[in-house]
Amino acid sequence: MENMGLVGLSRQMTLRRQMDVVANNIANVNTTGFKAEKMLFQEYLSPTAHEDNFIGRDRRVSFVQDRATMHDFAGGPVEPTKNPLDVAIDGNAFLAVQTAGGERYTRDGSLQINNQGQLVTASGLPVLGTNGPIVFQQTDHDINISQDGTVTVLEGTNRIDSIRGKIRMVQFASPQQLMKDGSNLYSAAPGVTAQPSLSAKLNQGFIERSNVSSVTEMTRMIEVTRAYTELSNMLQSQGDARRTAIEKLADVPA
Amino acid sequence: MRALYTAATGMAAQELNVQVISNNIANMRTTGYKKQRAAFQDLIYDHVRRVGAQASDQGTVIPVGVDIGGGVKTVGTPRSMTQGTLSTTGNDLDVAIRGEGFFKIQMPDGTFTYTRDGTFSMDNQGRIVNAQGNLVQPTITVPTASSQLTVNGAGQVSVIVPGSTTPTVLGSIGLTRFINKAGLSPIGDNLFVETPASGTPQDGTANLDGFGDMQQRNLEQANVEVVTEISDLIAAQRAYEMNAKVISAADQMLQSTSGMFR
Repeated sequence: MENMGLVGLSRQMTLRRQMDVVANNIANVNTTGFKAEKMLFQEYLSPTAHEDNFIGRDRRVSFVQDRATMHDFAGGPVEPTKNPLDVAIDGNAFLAVQTAGGERYTRDGSLQINNQGQLVTASGLPVLGTNGPIVFQQTDHDINISQDGTVTVLEGTNRIDSIRGKIRMVQFASPQQLMKDGSNLYSAAPGVTAQPSLSAKLNQGFIERSNVSSVTEMTRMIEVTRAYTELSNMLQSQGDARRTAIEKLADVPA
Repeated sequence: MRALYTAATGMAAQELNVQVISNNIANMRTTGYKKQRAAFQDLIYDHVRRVGAQASDQGTVIPVGVDIGGGVKTVGTPRSMTQGTLSTTGNDLDVAIRGEGFFKIQMPDGTFTYTRDGTFSMDNQGRIVNAQGNLVQPTITVPTASSQLTVNGAGQVSVIVPGSTTPTVLGSIGLTRFINKAGLSPIGDNLFVETPASGTPQDGTANLDGFGDMQQRNLEQANVEVVTEISDLIAAQRAYEMNAKVISAADQMLQSTSGMFR
C-alpha cells in the first residue's frame, strides 16, 4: 500500500527533471551549435525481502530512475550567413578552444577576431589550430577558410595567399563521454582523448543552428505534463482510498 | 521547478533576438549599416550524475551522465562586416569604400569616429564634412568657384580651379582599419568608436596595403538581407511562443501537485 505512493513519487521526480531537460532544449532552440539532450530512464528493483519459491512468487516493486541524459549529436540545420568568419562543421567533429581550465570543444563556429588578431569564439576564447592559436596580421584581408580548416588570407597588396594556420578539428571515440560545460563548450572526461578528425569538413560562411526539433520537444512536453497529471490523480485517488479505509474501519458503532 | 526559470531565460533571449532583427530591418536602407546577429550560448549545467565518474572499484566509468541545463544566455550581438552593395547616386561627394577600411571623422570635441557612410558634403568654408557636418579626415578644403570635383580610387580629391585646365590635387581622403572591426562600438549616426576589443586604429591610404578602393558617386547600401531577416524573425517568434508554452506546462504540473492535497 505504501509503495504505491513512493513508486509514483519516483516517477514524478524524474518527470520534473525531464521537464527541465525539455525546457533547456526549447530555451536553446536558437543557440548556434547546440545539441539536444534526451533523458534515459531505468527501472530500479527494490532490494526488499522477497521469496521467489512460492508458486505465486512475491512481486518486487520497481521504481523509476533517470540514469542518463544522452547528447543527440545529429547535425543541426546549416544557415548561410556570408560572414567569412562563420564556419559550420560537416561531420562528427569539434573545434578545439583554449580556456583557462584547459582545452574545451565546441560546435559553435561563429568566430571572431580579437584585438590581438587571434581567431576566437563568440565568448573570446582562442580557437586552436594544429600549431596553437591562429593569429592574423593588421594588413590581412579576404580571409578564406578551406574545407580542411586551412586559413589563408591576402596580406596587404600581395596577390598570393598567405597561410595563417589550420583550424584543428577533433573527434572522440565515444562523444557521449563529453560533458556539457555551458557556453556551448564541452569538456572531455579524464582518459577521454581527442583524436584529429580526418573526415570532417568546414564550410565557410555558414553556421550550424541548434538541432533541437521543436515539434519533438513540444510533443515530449505534452507527454510529460500528461503523465505527471495522471500520476497526481492516481496518488490522489490512493490517498482518498486510504482516507476512506481509515474512516470506515475506525467507524465504531455506538 | 527549474523548467519555469529555464523557459524564462529562453523568452528573454528571444525577445532580444527580435529586437536585434527589427533593428536590422529598420536599417535596411541605412547607408553603410552593418547587420547584427544575436549570438546565444547555453547556460551552466547541473551535473546530477557526472559522466566519467568511477562506477566501481574495478575502474569502470559511467558512460553517460545526467546533465540538466539551466537555459540560454546572450553572449553578444556580433556585427557582420561584409561588403554592402554599391548604388550609384551621381552626387560628386558620395563616396563608397569597396573593400577594407573606414572613413575617419573628427567630432566637435576633437575625438575621432569611424564610418562606412560616405554621404559627404561641403560646409560654409568649403571643407568636406559628413552628413552631421563633422570633418572628414584629413581635412580637405575645396576652393570656391572650382568645378569638376573628382575622387579617384585612392581617395585623391582633385578639382579644376578657375583659369586652369589641369586638375589640382587638394588631398586624399584617408582610410582607417582595425584588426577586429567587429569590435568597434556603434554610437549612432552611422558612426563607430574604437574600443579595447577593436584594437588600435591603423591609418592608411585607399588602394594600398590591403585597403579597399573608393568609388565616387556611389554609396554603400546596408548589408541586410530582408529574406534572411524575415525568416529569422519568424523563427524567433515561434521560439518565444514555445518557451511561453513550457512555462504554462510547468505551471500545470505544479497545479496538479498542489491539487493532490485537499
